[in-house]
Amino acid sequence: MAPQKKTRTAHPDAPTSSTFLSGPFDQLYRDHVDVMYRFAYRLCGEVEAAKDLVQETFLNAYRAYDRFRGDAQVSTWLYAIASHACLRMRRKRKGEPDRELSLEEFVPTSEGEFALQIPIEGLSPQEALENKELRQILDRAIAKLPRKYRMVLVLRDMEGLSAKEVGSIVGLNERAVKSRLHRARLFVRKELSAKGLAGELNRNVHTRLE
Amino acid sequence: MANRVRTYPGTRKPTPHQGHGKRNCVKILERLSAYLDDELSGDICREIRAHLGDCPNCEVFLDSLRHTVQLCQHRPSPSLSAKDRAALRRQILKGAVSA
Repeated sequence: MAPQKKTRTAHPDAPTSSTFLSGPFDQLYRDHVDVMYRFAYRLCGEVEAAKDLVQETFLNAYRAYDRFRGDAQVSTWLYAIASHACLRMRRKRKGEPDRELSLEEFVPTSEGEFALQIPIEGLSPQEALENKELRQILDRAIAKLPRKYRMVLVLRDMEGLSAKEVGSIVGLNERAVKSRLHRARLFVRKELSAKGLAGELNRNVHTRLE
Repeated sequence: MANRVRTYPGTRKPTPHQGHGKRNCVKILERLSAYLDDELSGDICREIRAHLGDCPNCEVFLDSLRHTVQLCQHRPSPSLSAKDRAALRRQILKGAVSA
């Protein structure tokens, strides 16, 4: 549902500002903070950075509220604000540009690279993820993704948005979203199939249901 | 429990490419996400299935990609505690007022 824009003025110090803050904007925060925190945590991989991103997202939403046209869902609008804020915050911390992922680097070169070297046979994804080691390996793989690829993977495969919605959030057409998503998935797959992980997991296999 | 947890895909051992040029496999690899997401036409799906039937390596690769996507889709994310939610709200409202 689109927020009620009429209560907001362009001047935060105007009398209606506090009404807006304690009314519609507060409601917007309450309705979406959990989704935005989940998204922020998935992007950042740690609690404090996720909280910073949520704070930045809602402050930017407050400032940009006058320009929200209501032709997108509020959640999509907030995802876009969070995505931009995330890219800006990370750019400040680390100046390096994102590297591009090419399909060639994901073509297996030996027999062992075709399968996942992780012990999940016969387990549902939920059961497999009860293994702390596996969760950590997956999280590390996602964290290693160049940020523009991680953004698309998180939005599409973790937040469950459509390719079209992801495109409107990150400013790409559907074809480009799908291409980026495929490379991101191949990257994570390759990380999960990397040699050395199986040994590490197998040694800890009895801690699966700790 | 330990016998349930084995290196995937377990009993099926990949064999070298049989009568398939690597170029074919790379062509299949390019389309596997679209295949998993059910975005391809029937003709292309049939072409991919025919290749997979003949190429155990590509089939194992597809399974490993499917599992990767499923793990991402089901990875739980921690939620915000009520205390943190309230603290964050205070900070945001304070920041908005002073903006």
